[in-house]
Amino acid sequence: MVIKGVKQIPMIDKFLLAYRSIRERRTRSILTVLGIAVGIAAIVSLMSVGYGMEEAITGELTGMADMISVVPGKITGHAYVELGSFTDRDVKDVQRISGIKDITAMTYDAVEVEYRNKRAPIFVLGGDTKELGGFYVEPVGIKEGRWLRENDFKGCVIGDRVANDFFDEVIHVNDKLIINGEKFIVVGVFEKASTMYAADVDPHIFLTLRASQEVLQTDEVKYIMVRIYDLEEAEGIAEEIEERINDNHGLDDFAMAMTMGSMIEQIGDVFNIIRGVLVGIAAIALVVASIGIMNTMLMSVMERTHEIGVMKAIGAKSSDVLSLFLLESSMVSLVGGMVGCVLGVVAAKVISLGAGTALGIEFGAVVKPEVLLGGMAVAMIVGVLSGFYPARKASRMSPVEAVRYE
Amino acid sequence: MIRTENLTKVYRMGDAEVYALHDVNLEIQEGEFIAIIGPSGSGKSTLLNMIGCLDTPTSGAVFIDGIDTGKLSENGLAEIRRKKIGFIFQQFNLVHTLNALENVALPMFFAGVRREIRLDRAEELLVNVGLGDRMHHKPPEMSGGQQQRVAIARALSNDPEVVIGDEPTGNVDTETGNTILDILEGLNKEGRTVIVVTHDAEIAARAGRTKRMRDGKVLD
Repeated sequence: MVIKGVKQIPMIDKFLLAYRSIRERRTRSILTVLGIAVGIAAIVSLMSVGYGMEEAITGELTGMADMISVVPGKITGHAYVELGSFTDRDVKDVQRISGIKDITAMTYDAVEVEYRNKRAPIFVLGGDTKELGGFYVEPVGIKEGRWLRENDFKGCVIGDRVANDFFDEVIHVNDKLIINGEKFIVVGVFEKASTMYAADVDPHIFLTLRASQEVLQTDEVKYIMVRIYDLEEAEGIAEEIEERINDNHGLDDFAMAMTMGSMIEQIGDVFNIIRGVLVGIAAIALVVASIGIMNTMLMSVMERTHEIGVMKAIGAKSSDVLSLFLLESSMVSLVGGMVGCVLGVVAAKVISLGAGTALGIEFGAVVKPEVLLGGMAVAMIVGVLSGFYPARKASRMSPVEAVRYE
Repeated sequence: MIRTENLTKVYRMGDAEVYALHDVNLEIQEGEFIAIIGPSGSGKSTLLNMIGCLDTPTSGAVFIDGIDTGKLSENGLAEIRRKKIGFIFQQFNLVHTLNALENVALPMFFAGVRREIRLDRAEELLVNVGLGDRMHHKPPEMSGGQQQRVAIARALSNDPEVVIGDEPTGNVDTETGNTILDILEGLNKEGRTVIVVTHDAEIAARAGRTKRMRDGKVLD
């Protein structure tokens, strides 16, 4: 009887044999898959947490990028020196600058605040309720109660830290505060503000313009917030604001208008450091992952040198043996890569949740498709290559040599 | 059919050269049953590996059907191993993750035989060696004798003209040894050339011709 064969082994047959070989070595295969998965998970999770941090920072900055804050003073060294206050004319002049969408003028000062017989000095901020609300209510959010109305002369809205940290007892809506001797009722409590708004909202008490003027016994404007239409114009508008106010006061450096862009520049160094650390982490993760994958793959193929020898001894061509092992390596690498991506995403979520809670900031991991694809690519390339290398080495040995190999 | 010409294999052990084979000239006719005997280290297995195209000589040549195997490519040698020769090892050398049926079908897999055909034939071969009820067992679940019978069935799967056994009864008990010997004798009666290396006087006695080796040389 003559058994007729074809020149090529059908792909499906190779696939089935490779699959069978993986399944029969269940423990070994699972370990190899895990070895690859851990490496890929490291890359995916670290990159996703990194991107999450970056986004948490840039997201807030771009959210506030259309705002310009104007103060009557300048920063010398690290300290802010107040040079006076703005006048109504300043506010009107600024309002006339083209490109400005909203403007709010505020007065503020630190005064003594009493709650249930405990006293603390707290900054009180007052302004037009509609304008002020437009700047803070939407981005920060009211947790309890509501925002101020124009005729809430005896009402106040408090920031998160005022409500929770400044006094022994937590302050709620309808509680009474004595601000500089005058009684006020809390009508609303802000949510805890995100990083960029935290300094503006959390430690402050907000009043109507009239109430603040009474309590602070002044009608001086100490802070002007401006929102513009076009981000591109921010720097130009900021300069114009400074010029007009400086002209009004006959001083060169009276007003300081800060765009968020300039703030971004100020913390740009920090940013670059974060970026650098991220790239470094990714590089380390890549190296660690690659070495881990190489190790598991090399070992699992090397220990099968004997089997490769047997296959050759019964007439397998080197190329057939190689393609079988390549198939096996790619299947294992593919599964390892996928498991790694899933583990990585889960780990990233857990890490960002933990870190967010520990640092008291809110940020979520950002899983980018290109990171997942990159992870899969690393798994496939490194996995297949490090499976290919020992398989090729074994398939080039003479069958006798390979069969003897233990 | 098979002829060796000044076949020499030298191993290097440090500075010393060890002649595993030294100018071996041997001719084996088609349909012969030849036993090669000799003490350990006399070069018997090395000679078989050369004839079976599992190893390459340092010098000299092996001719199979007039073809100088030293002039063949890697793939050419693989083709000879696949089609012309069935090799039976002392250590069985089965693939442990595959069951008996799949092990027997493996050479046909590499020959590109269709799945149904190769499994049918593998089953037939296993029945012939008396393992019809062990087809779905894996090698570690079988005795040495059973494994060696699977290995014989595997050696026959591409219907080779030459069957080579390297101490085929070396790792099995006497009774199984006899069975294996019967099978080999049967294969020879079917017209196949059977070449066996052995310590076993019984095999030597039943072979058509016996050659003795010592120190890498075939004695007359």
